[in-house]
Amino acid sequence: MGALIDGESRPRLESWLAGATGATRVAVADEGTLGGGAISLNLAVTLDIDGGPQAGRHACVLRAQPGGGAAASGMKASISKAQEYAVLRAAFGAGVAAPEPIAACGDPAVLGADFYIMRRAEGIGAGHKVVKADQPQRALARELGRQLGRLHKAGPDTPGLEGLPMPAASPALDCVHAYRDWLGDLALRDAVLAWGLRWLEIHAPPPGELVLCHRDYRTGNYLVKDGGLTAILDWEFAGFSDPMEDLGWFCARSWRFGRHDREAGGLAGREDFYAGYEETSGRRVDPQAVAYWETAAYMRWAAIAVLQGRRHTSGEEPSLELALTGRMLPEIELDLLRHIHGLGLRASAPAAVGAEPSGDADEERVA
Amino acid sequence: MRTSPDAQELLSIVADTFRTDLLPHIPPAQRYTALMIANALGIVQRELAGVDEAGHAMLAALALLYGEDADDSLSGADLRQRVEALQHRLCIEIAAGDFDHEGQDVLMECLEEIVQARLGIANPKLLRG
Repeated sequence: MGALIDGESRPRLESWLAGATGATRVAVADEGTLGGGAISLNLAVTLDIDGGPQAGRHACVLRAQPGGGAAASGMKASISKAQEYAVLRAAFGAGVAAPEPIAACGDPAVLGADFYIMRRAEGIGAGHKVVKADQPQRALARELGRQLGRLHKAGPDTPGLEGLPMPAASPALDCVHAYRDWLGDLALRDAVLAWGLRWLEIHAPPPGELVLCHRDYRTGNYLVKDGGLTAILDWEFAGFSDPMEDLGWFCARSWRFGRHDREAGGLAGREDFYAGYEETSGRRVDPQAVAYWETAAYMRWAAIAVLQGRRHTSGEEPSLELALTGRMLPEIELDLLRHIHGLGLRASAPAAVGAEPSGDADEERVA
Repeated sequence: MRTSPDAQELLSIVADTFRTDLLPHIPPAQRYTALMIANALGIVQRELAGVDEAGHAMLAALALLYGEDADDSLSGADLRQRVEALQHRLCIEIAAGDFDHEGQDVLMECLEEIVQARLGIANPKLLRG
């Protein structure tokens, strides 16, 4: 991406923002790209707003969809920036620690790409830093459970979410179809993936309650400052699904950053995370369903890694990081098989810790 | 005609030099990129050196299911095609439900062996001890 905000587009952005925030004048200072945007572009901006209800100086993030439209992204799982903004508003309105949404723009004449602006949060996001702690971070795990419980109060009836797609059959089978689609012919060439898909089909739970899921709720996608949660980020995969999907994803080995003894995101034991969830969601955690969705998590991550690798190999976006993410497949498959094996045996396998940097370490992210 | 040093030998000294002489002096802002390069070089080294070995291990794993002898004489493209053909067959059988009710133990053993063989190239630190 070239510069989104330049001498030419800045006045357009400022006058659009003045209209959107009811101000007399807005000045935008561009402070550069923020990390953590494997799919979206995140720009740090400071808004100086004169007049109107939001007058004052605001540290913000401008989040854009590179390539202009929803379908242009190589990442099939992501929603459009307008939908993401609606999700952010719903989450923020439900009391979730999502960054405060400020304004969204779907007019390509302004920056040439869909984008929205949200308040910038402080803190550390990089997974390997977040999990670094002598003692289990039980309070943080519990708080993340509470946050997820609040988010799951939103659903298809929540105002503003009308534009989000509804699962066709059951959320589980919908996921299987999506993963198969993303994997393409690899589902007929890689027997581990073929078995993962089949396993998910045979064990699919019947359709139940549909809630607003984050779908990338994990360590590495929230910010922590002084041990406390400041913001939950990366809402671009959000959608309606089985509530247990987010819990399975959060607890998957892939997001423990080496702290496999702390199954809830490398922070603490599952019990703290589950307890926080039950406090606010008004529903019980179903460990068996979470285990199903953890299998789905490995398959989803495998399919996403394949898509990321393809973004590189297709020539669309040459990138060492994307290329290495594609090469993470055997590692994800190992976790998948280990998990399925464990479900059969209910035995705990010894932890193998991999410290090799790969395509998904999010090392540079400080938002 | 064999060039000397050959590709593997050249790559080996490139990777060593990068790790020993450059990596310690990379500024923090570029360190992650440098580590990714070192990681990628390692993958290429292991793949060049061990792709046939991994192929034979995968063939042996698939032989658990198909009982065919794991032909040790195969190498290079022939070996790869043989492994691909058997994996394709297995994928079709799995999708058709052939392992829904029985044979899962042998299937899991086969799949675990296949993943171990591929991990030996992609990330050997994760191999079971």
